[in-house]
Amino acid sequence: MNEFTNNPIEINFLPKFEEVKLNSLNSKYVYVLLINLILILILVIAGFSALFFFKQNSFTYSIWAAVFIGILLFFIGLIVFVKLSFHRKGYAFRTHDVIYKSGLISQTTTIIPFNRVQHVALHQGFISRNLGLASIELFTAGGSSSDLKIPGILLEDAQKIKNLVSQKINPPKKDEPIEIQPNEPIVTEEHE
Amino acid sequence: MNKSIDFSQPQRQSLTGILVLFANSLQKTVRALWPILLIWLVKFDSLNKLVFFGIVAGVTIFIVIISYLQYHFFTFHIDNENQEFVIQKGIINKTRITIQLHKIQQVNINQSLIQRLVGVHKFEIDTAGSDKKEASISAISHTLATILKERLINHSQQESFEIGETVLVDVVSTSFIKIGLISLVKIGFTSNYIKSLALIFVFFTTILDNLQQLNSHVIDEDKVTDYLDTLPIITFFLVVVGFFVGLILVVNLIRTILKYFDFTIQKNKHSILLSYGLLATKNKLLNPNKVQKIKITQNFFQKKLDVLTIGVNQASSDPEIANAKDPIEVPGCSMGERDVILKLLFSQLPQKGTQYVPNWRKLALNTFFILVLPVLIFIGTNYILHFISWNDLIIYASIFTVFTILMLWFSFKNYRFFVSEDFIIKQNGAWDIDTTIIEPCKIQAIETQQFFWQKATNIGSVNLSTAGGNINFTTGNYSEIKSLVNYWLYQLETTNKNWM
Repeated sequence: MNEFTNNPIEINFLPKFEEVKLNSLNSKYVYVLLINLILILILVIAGFSALFFFKQNSFTYSIWAAVFIGILLFFIGLIVFVKLSFHRKGYAFRTHDVIYKSGLISQTTTIIPFNRVQHVALHQGFISRNLGLASIELFTAGGSSSDLKIPGILLEDAQKIKNLVSQKINPPKKDEPIEIQPNEPIVTEEHE
Repeated sequence: MNKSIDFSQPQRQSLTGILVLFANSLQKTVRALWPILLIWLVKFDSLNKLVFFGIVAGVTIFIVIISYLQYHFFTFHIDNENQEFVIQKGIINKTRITIQLHKIQQVNINQSLIQRLVGVHKFEIDTAGSDKKEASISAISHTLATILKERLINHSQQESFEIGETVLVDVVSTSFIKIGLISLVKIGFTSNYIKSLALIFVFFTTILDNLQQLNSHVIDEDKVTDYLDTLPIITFFLVVVGFFVGLILVVNLIRTILKYFDFTIQKNKHSILLSYGLLATKNKLLNPNKVQKIKITQNFFQKKLDVLTIGVNQASSDPEIANAKDPIEVPGCSMGERDVILKLLFSQLPQKGTQYVPNWRKLALNTFFILVLPVLIFIGTNYILHFISWNDLIIYASIFTVFTILMLWFSFKNYRFFVSEDFIIKQNGAWDIDTTIIEPCKIQAIETQQFFWQKATNIGSVNLSTAGGNINFTTGNYSEIKSLVNYWLYQLETTNKNWM
């Protein structure tokens, strides 16, 4: 392995991001994903039924059946995929940065240091709200490719995280008491 | 310099600026109505002259009135209380644009041909971080523009210099690099072939399209094809290729010289001023603090001629602007000038440091997708459709293969990643070799990525986002990448260097 010749710090003793124990997303979040999938499935089946009802004569029954089974199999595959990839998602907040790992086929790890975060937002969709979940979104100046969204966090945890990150971004001045606002208004946005 | 102008009071544009506004509106109208105008010109003889000139006069007077009203309702001032720059405009729909002074990123003073004739300048303000539209004043006198620019830039600088501990010595603006005509000729002949080809293509198709629409036989197509048919096929081929190569070179040359004529780099108090252009002089301001990414491009010919192009990306948090906005380019620098500019922007010359090379699988994968797969598809379709003879196919396929192998090999050989304490440098490209330089402290977010089949071979990629674009290294040794990421995180989190 290459070594840094002009570097006084031994690189092997630096904290390793890949060895950090990640928190998995709240197990209820998988329901959010599944409900979303089922909603789409219902729409697709409704469309399929309408097509079948009006254009019955276009194809033979065996083709209709094959297409229907195809759709079902595709969705079953999708559900398995969603469940598997759910278990591969994880996040961790360290003293100076946040780590988020995701992806089944291609595993991506995003790391944003707190001193680069511009602002932080808390989102709650319709289904998440009923399950008491929220997602945290961190914005940087690097544009949308470097923004980070962590879904499936319990609302109280999400609020704590949000306050923590806000304080890290704008450290309170020493002579001012730290204001903790437990009931601060939540940014709610609908997107599922 | 006259500093007595009170910018806290609403200011109007230069009175002569009405002419510019008039020209702008006229241009817009002509552009919107050009199909009608074209038809009128073709059928000019059969038109009622009185009606025609009546309409033209009416439209002109209307535009004059609109221009005057635009001038009358357009005011700008600095709101000292709120630290904002305010523009108010609009005849019926009133618009009020406010820009917080510390958000001002870049102030450009440009001059188009018409503005040059009238003797006014265009004043443009560029902001970072907001999705607000950039504000612009289209007609302002040069003295006023310079004073306003000083005011705005000083305000926006104050903030950042309270944080920075460096005490800057006032430097009288001195011109220190001038790109001569010869360098521009060199660059014009050796770069942007594809851009110019596209330009020529668009130009020709529009012209042909218009000619066909008019149904006028300016060029007798039959005659041209007849003439070309008499030539042997090889000569015909050479004539066409030679014509296009010549055209590309000429277009390239003209474009480069028009755009970058008299390229001057001046050092100001806190910033670097670039001014260039033959017909329209452009002024661009570079702020070393806000520079995020620098790209140096040079190909084989340019290396022999000692010229290169430097592109500079400044901070912009709006992703669309960041991606769409072209970098500020300095064409035709020599190696020496490059070093001076880099020293000015980074305050030291970037060191390459430890070298990282991609895995050979990158070459294998690219070869498969760019060479093997297309050739197989080509052979397969020909097997079914028989559109060319197998002899021809072998000739085409071998030309393509040789060309692609060369490209692939060079792009693999040039694909390098260098990391030192203060710089991250990526080198890539097959013909035009790009060297992209960023500083670790400009990193906003780090993303590592690995496909599941790459786990066994320990291969992975890394993508570093800055506020002025990304830099990535793919198919590298994943454990090396991970230790680099840890090192960069350490650098980012232990120092409080400003990224802007």
